[in-house]
Amino acid sequence: MLRIAIVAVMFCAAALSARADDEEKKISNDRPDRPLHMPAASSETKEAFDDFDRFARRGAWERATKALYSIAEDQAGRFVDGKDGFIVPVARKRRDVLSALSPEGQAAYRLFYDSDAEKLLAEANGPKEQETLERLYSSYFLTSVGDNAADRLGDLYFEKGQADRAADCWLSILRERPDSELSPALLTVKAALALARAGRGSELEALRPDLNDRFAGETVTLGGRKTKVADLIQGLKVVKEQADDTIPRSADTPAPALPESVGAAWQVRFGDSVTAGMTPEERAQWDKSPLSNAVPAVTVQGGKLYANYLGHVFAIDLTTGKMLWRSASFHDLEKLANQNQMIATNHYAVLADDAHVWTLGRDPKNQSYNATSPLVCRRAETGEVIWQSPDLTEYSGMEMMGTPILAHGTLFLAGRKSATETSSSSNISFYGSSGNQHQYVMAIRPRDGKIVWTADVGALRDGTRYYYYGQADNSPQPRLIYRAGSIYIDTHNGILARIDAESGAVDWGYGYPTDPVQNSMSRLIIINGMLTQSSPSSSAGGAPLRSGDALIFKGAKSDRLCAIDPDRMALLWERPIAKSARLLGLDDEAIYLGGPELGALDRKTRALRWSTPLPGGSDDGRVIARADGIWQLTPRGIFEVDPRTGAVRRIFRGDDDGSSGGDLILAEGLLLAITNRAISAYPLGQAPGGNPDGAAVSGKTTKEIE
Amino acid sequence: MTRSNLAVVTVSLLTLLVAGPARAQVADGLDGFTVTGKGTASALPNRLEIDLEVSAASELSADAIVKYRDAKKRLEDAFATLKLPNVAVEERALAVDQKGQAYSPYYMEMPAANKGKVEVQLSRKLVVSCKDIGKLDEESLLQLVARLLDVAQDAGAKIGNATEYNPYYGRYGNGSNALVRFILDDFDALQEKAYEAAIVDAKARATRLAKLSGTAVGRVAGVRELKVPGDNVSPQSLMQTIVAYEYGVNAGQDKEAPHKEITSDKFQKIPVEVALQVRFEVAAAAPNPKATTTKPAGGGQ
Repeated sequence: MLRIAIVAVMFCAAALSARADDEEKKISNDRPDRPLHMPAASSETKEAFDDFDRFARRGAWERATKALYSIAEDQAGRFVDGKDGFIVPVARKRRDVLSALSPEGQAAYRLFYDSDAEKLLAEANGPKEQETLERLYSSYFLTSVGDNAADRLGDLYFEKGQADRAADCWLSILRERPDSELSPALLTVKAALALARAGRGSELEALRPDLNDRFAGETVTLGGRKTKVADLIQGLKVVKEQADDTIPRSADTPAPALPESVGAAWQVRFGDSVTAGMTPEERAQWDKSPLSNAVPAVTVQGGKLYANYLGHVFAIDLTTGKMLWRSASFHDLEKLANQNQMIATNHYAVLADDAHVWTLGRDPKNQSYNATSPLVCRRAETGEVIWQSPDLTEYSGMEMMGTPILAHGTLFLAGRKSATETSSSSNISFYGSSGNQHQYVMAIRPRDGKIVWTADVGALRDGTRYYYYGQADNSPQPRLIYRAGSIYIDTHNGILARIDAESGAVDWGYGYPTDPVQNSMSRLIIINGMLTQSSPSSSAGGAPLRSGDALIFKGAKSDRLCAIDPDRMALLWERPIAKSARLLGLDDEAIYLGGPELGALDRKTRALRWSTPLPGGSDDGRVIARADGIWQLTPRGIFEVDPRTGAVRRIFRGDDDGSSGGDLILAEGLLLAITNRAISAYPLGQAPGGNPDGAAVSGKTTKEIE
Repeated sequence: MTRSNLAVVTVSLLTLLVAGPARAQVADGLDGFTVTGKGTASALPNRLEIDLEVSAASELSADAIVKYRDAKKRLEDAFATLKLPNVAVEERALAVDQKGQAYSPYYMEMPAANKGKVEVQLSRKLVVSCKDIGKLDEESLLQLVARLLDVAQDAGAKIGNATEYNPYYGRYGNGSNALVRFILDDFDALQEKAYEAAIVDAKARATRLAKLSGTAVGRVAGVRELKVPGDNVSPQSLMQTIVAYEYGVNAGQDKEAPHKEITSDKFQKIPVEVALQVRFEVAAAAPNPKATTTKPAGGGQ
């Protein structure tokens, strides 16, 4: 009897332990140790979903659906846990749970809510048409008129150019409303056209058998014109407007091969300008300062290189190496070396088009503890300031961060701001608290700085800003990418979120494992940087990589490499990886990783193929990853690595002695090496040096990955 | 155990500690002449060593193994391509531990870690050893050292022993910036010379004492080695001992098989030093007229 009791106790303990482990692993927006929480639905809303589940299991349809409709309308845009780690808006979850009802439940549901839905559909006219249709789509999709509402909403989205959202509307009718009386041929054609325009290739291919076999002979009316399906779908393919980060096999630019010994075609030694005239003591002070290790953020546009060096913006002609203009003299930086220990030198960004240059980064002359980074727009030709965020009231209190991106004529940028207060002083946070800050993404009109929309991604639980103790904010910066009408933000705080680029609506978030929020006790003692043990990779979070239908990403503080299908909202795979790793690029065969060493993961088996330690590691800096080689700038020169084996093929020492590594860019027939001391341009050779297949592969396509 | 018991035990232990040296003193006695003789012979180092470390860490042990294996292979291949017959890469102990889980004396706790998540770290110290450097002139030696350091750095190796966090000093490394260690381990002949010199020195000292005290030096009654070449306690291990004592942590001890060598951070003649404590008996000598007039107050030295 005693034995049985012991076995039973052990079994219970094991079961409880397993359950606790599962709870530990489960990513939930409600977990208090998560550093970023998407705007959470109220507890009443969550209870309503629980009630729905309970009543639906019992077959109490009226009470079940009533529970769902007790959710206040203002909760529709709040977030709850969805499937597979996704965090979805209440409206979406409501539609999903209703779609999952049994036929009996759906029949009962229609009995209760058809009349409400019909009434709403009748009101869906005029200025409130879209809003009403959206409400119908989210709340009454399963009613008899829900499919009609979704179809009309799809038409509206498509007319506005929101092909991605239009495709979702039509696909949901095809997938979730098989009882719909709408023409399946027309719906399929519309969905296919929207998918093609949105760049969702694999979903388009999934519809193609139906289009070719089932509906090819049918005639549909589109835009008032009758057309045969076969004619419509002829030559229908994905519009390749959005970038894909997979390195193609075809060629367009020569490899960054350098002759055995070649001097720089030109060099801009801005580091010398800073240190010119310094006394030995001043020089020693400067060398000790973190500012002396700052590598300027650069971008190349229209034959010019634009750089943001600690808030000093300058332009260089790529042909001659001549500095065309600069916003301020470099000399004043030496005076700031001792006073600005808290400036994060890698939080500067620059972006340009043919006529404008946008820069982001704190002004080192601003000694205020709560200084933020202004966004400044200048004329590309002269450097003259056109507009700057401190002059615009709508930016008040917003701390902008990360690297802005320009897509479809709109500037997108991440920022943080206190949710309750608007004054800039409200951003101060002490002792590691976040000060009630929220993570935002903004869409900005590039010409005048007007904010088109601001999307709230979530509330931060962990600020990690220690102004009083002289430590720079080395927290990883959020990264943005544009893909098929959506902006994706990897917050590097455990959430990857998708935002509609047109409206700023947050579609969903994906919660991935990340470091939990630390209590303030363990982070208090910071005295003059004495205990600064931060990893060099702490702020080197990369942007997600686009590969076909998949997004591959890794949070800076995460020990998982994840691949998701953002259109189907599915986790494709995930793999444990060292926290210190970062994504560099990918091709058909491998995913290239940086970190303490360079590495390559096999895309099929996801096993680590090779790993190559380089001097100084590969924790930050832009690396050129191509099908014919990987090039990295290290403190000991430019290393060329074979992407198949990881072997170092050759080392080009160059003219960057004394630098601490930096970025490599291939542009205008030059290999540009950007370090903390100089920008050097090296002329390219004829074929990749040391590569036995050099002649055959010398023309493969370049992909510069940040 | 009660407080009174504890006190008794403590007092007993203290008594033992105090009594130990007292007994030794009695045994040593002051019979004859006890002197310390020192002998030195020096030579240029015959070997140099460069400490390298390869390490790899990952969430998946399989990844850590690939990283470690590749890093080690690339380093070994890099030195192999040099084709220098006198250069060898020796492997030291392999450590398998958990990354970032060192005890922090300032926080008085282990760092916050995710429960159940272990990042496996493999690390091994490699020592590049180059022998017969005594035959090289300074220029050739510099070229050789530069070449070895360049190859190691280009292969991505960490040079020196600076990766261990030292909680005693609140920094990484042991305070030494030396990249190369010069070694003299072929010093048997020199050692013999140093011993001979030490005995001669001891005898000279004893003779002086005997002369001053009006006696004569007799035969050698006992010899004790005070300093033997190659048996030095390095400052690093001393520091590690302090750290271990102060904080209860073991800051990267790298226990190797004991071997006899003398090291220097600089390329210079390395002294082989011997110190011997020698006891001579007092010989029965002819009476010294000066000594009889000034009678010594006591015997001995």
